[in-house]
Amino acid sequence: MISSHNRSIVIIISSADIVLAGLAEILKGSLANEIISLHRGDEMIDYPKMDGNILVITTSDEYEKSNVFIRQILFSASHLGFLTLHLDTMTDYSNQTINLSDTTALVCYKVNEVLTSFLATNARETGTELTRREIEVLQLLTKGYANKEIADQLFVSTHTVISHRKNISEKTGIKSASGLTMYAILKKIIDVGDINQDDLI
Amino acid sequence: MELFNENSKLASVILKDHSLLPVINRLGIKLGFGDETIKSICLEKGIDLNFFVETINVFHYEAYFPEKRLLDFPISMVIDYLIKTHQYYKNYLIPENDRLMELFLSASPGESSDNELVRKFYTKFKEEFVIHINFEEEEMFPYILELNAVIEDPSLRNQFNRKYPSFSITSFEKEHSNMDDKMDDLKNIIIKYLPPNYDQNRGNAFLYNLFMFEKDLKNHSRIEDHIMIPRVKQLEKLLVSHD
Repeated sequence: MISSHNRSIVIIISSADIVLAGLAEILKGSLANEIISLHRGDEMIDYPKMDGNILVITTSDEYEKSNVFIRQILFSASHLGFLTLHLDTMTDYSNQTINLSDTTALVCYKVNEVLTSFLATNARETGTELTRREIEVLQLLTKGYANKEIADQLFVSTHTVISHRKNISEKTGIKSASGLTMYAILKKIIDVGDINQDDLI
Repeated sequence: MELFNENSKLASVILKDHSLLPVINRLGIKLGFGDETIKSICLEKGIDLNFFVETINVFHYEAYFPEKRLLDFPISMVIDYLIKTHQYYKNYLIPENDRLMELFLSASPGESSDNELVRKFYTKFKEEFVIHINFEEEEMFPYILELNAVIEDPSLRNQFNRKYPSFSITSFEKEHSNMDDKMDDLKNIIIKYLPPNYDQNRGNAFLYNLFMFEKDLKNHSRIEDHIMIPRVKQLEKLLVSHD
């Protein structure tokens, strides 16, 4: 098995169970491989030396309180990012934050943007010729999504997705879905654990 | 590119394009033909001259399309040739490919998970490929032979109509391109993306065989698409014109 350093992990920190359960449910549709729900930042003590690409979603209060501690605990993460959670309905809309009024698709989109930026950096390190957007498309493709579904998730047209796919095949020289899956694994763009190998390879 | 004709000496044909060796074997010819021309060998062995020349030219020159008037040979001969090609794949090329791949992978310990991926991909490709050729042998070829029989013997027509009410070869035509794509992908992955800690000679041996397999397969598809299918369409038209 390939090591876990390409796994995408989302940690949600909120004192409200409704928020934890709701976000965890919404993020099942995202690129996260694992979702961890915590009530407080200091509970991270139970997750020492965690590696992989980690995104922490937390309120700004909790962020102020525990971000230094979380950074210390997660020193072995390949990447670490934070998104702020705004539960106040009066807060202005922002792309950098998860807002109470965001739709499911929008929340997933914001989270995926961060996770793929991590993976794109990893992929650059292993030397792939693909752009960040192409990597995103490739990832969703290897998860078995159809063009239309990928388009919906990325807020682009199906036509754009098809053109990304064409570019991916031109750059890599690989056309079949199973060949692309193999490429993505070899280039560490996805983790073997993420996909159903029997289906895709 | 030079095309071969009935007066070409077979020995010089092979010297010009040795990838034709398995092709002439499938057509029923073994080595040791001295300076004989294609015409005299075909006469001697009872092989249809047109079919022989068209087949080696299609195989030899990628851009070559036989003219319609040259397609006038027995379809059973084409099917026989195609079945022999399938046997060559199943009994020789595929097992040989398996063997070379195992040698290659076992000599390239590297990341064993990467090797496992290559093995899985190849195995899946092979399975699909065998399903594809079995489909042709079990469904498509029998249809063509029965179509041919009904033209020779119109009394079989009712029986044929019951079995194939909307007879048309297009309903059997399966995409060849998918198989070609996967073959391409396998080559690309090995050449471009496999970690470089492998045994070079065994890697090369495996790739050589893969290239050969690919070329043979592409030409096999072209013989089906440019010789068999047009001929079958001719026969279908003929049957309609009998009505």
